[in-house]
Amino acid sequence: MLVPDLVSPFVVSLYNPVIAVGILVGFIGLLGISFQKNDLSVLILTDIVGIAMLIVVAAVATDLAEALILPGLVVELAEILAISEILMSREMRKSGKKVELLPVPLSLDMEILKTAPNFIALALVAYGVFLTGFTGGAVAGVGILFYVLSKTYRGIPFGLWEGMSGASGIAWCLWIAGFLIFFVFPQIWLLGLFLSSCGLLVKVASKIGLVGVMGREEFKKE
Amino acid sequence: MLDIQIWFYTGCALVILGSLGTVFGPGVKDPVVRILNTEIPAVGLSLIFLTYNHTIALLTFIAATVIITLILLRAVVRLEEMGAEL
Repeated sequence: MLVPDLVSPFVVSLYNPVIAVGILVGFIGLLGISFQKNDLSVLILTDIVGIAMLIVVAAVATDLAEALILPGLVVELAEILAISEILMSREMRKSGKKVELLPVPLSLDMEILKTAPNFIALALVAYGVFLTGFTGGAVAGVGILFYVLSKTYRGIPFGLWEGMSGASGIAWCLWIAGFLIFFVFPQIWLLGLFLSSCGLLVKVASKIGLVGVMGREEFKKE
Repeated sequence: MLDIQIWFYTGCALVILGSLGTVFGPGVKDPVVRILNTEIPAVGLSLIFLTYNHTIALLTFIAATVIITLILLRAVVRLEEMGAEL
C-alpha cells in the first residue's frame, strides 16, 4: 500500500479534488500571465501561481506537508521581493527619477529610532539565537531589520551585507550536514538536530540580506 | 456540528473564483484592485489549510500574505511616483 495506515481515510479521499483544484488554479494563473504585457500585473499574478503551488503541497497532508509549506512560503516571499526590486530599479534607470525607499506618509523621525536601536536589536537577536530554528530566525531577522531601518539616515557599511550572503551559504551546509547525520549516524541525532536548527536560524535571519541588494543601490554609502 | 467538507469545498470554490477574478475580473486594469483580488484565493487557501489541520503553515501563511501585500503596494506606489505606465 502506498499510503500508510495512520493517514485517515477522509484525508486520502480529499487528495484527488485538491490536486485538481491546484492544477486548475495554476493553469488560470499561467494563462493570465501569458496574456499580460504589463510587468506589474505579471508580478501580481505570480502570487496566484504561488497559491496553486501551496495547494498542491498541502494535498500531501500529514506533517510532511507542513514542513514543505514553510520553505515554500519563504521562497515565494523572497521571489516577489526580488522581482519587485528589479522592476523598480529598471524603471528608475529609465526615467532617471529617484523616489523614497519606503513611501510612508509619516516622517520616521522619532527619538527612539536614534537612542534605542542598539539595545532592541541586540535583545531580539540574542532571543532569536536562544530560540534557534525557524521562529528564532524570524525573531533575529526582525531585530536586524529594525537596526537597518533606524540607521538608514546614517548609511550602512555595505561590506556587512556581502558577509551576510556568505554566512547564508555556510548555513545551508550546516543544514545539509545535519540531515545527513540524521540518516547516516542516527545514534548522534542530537548533534544533527542542533546543526540543522542553527543552520536554519542563520538562513532565515539572513533572508534580510536581500535588503542589502537594495542597500547597494539606494542607501547612502560611506 | 457542521460537516468538515463544507469548509474544504468553500475553500476550493473561493480559490478558483478568486483566481478567475484576479485574472479576468472587472477593473483589474488598476493594479490596486488586482492586489485586493488576490486576497480572495488567499482566504480560500487558508480554509484548505484549516481542513488539513496545518496550524503552523496557516499562521505563517497569514503573516507572509500581509508582507506580500505590503511589498506589492509599495511597488505600486513607487512606480506611480516615478510616472511609469501601469
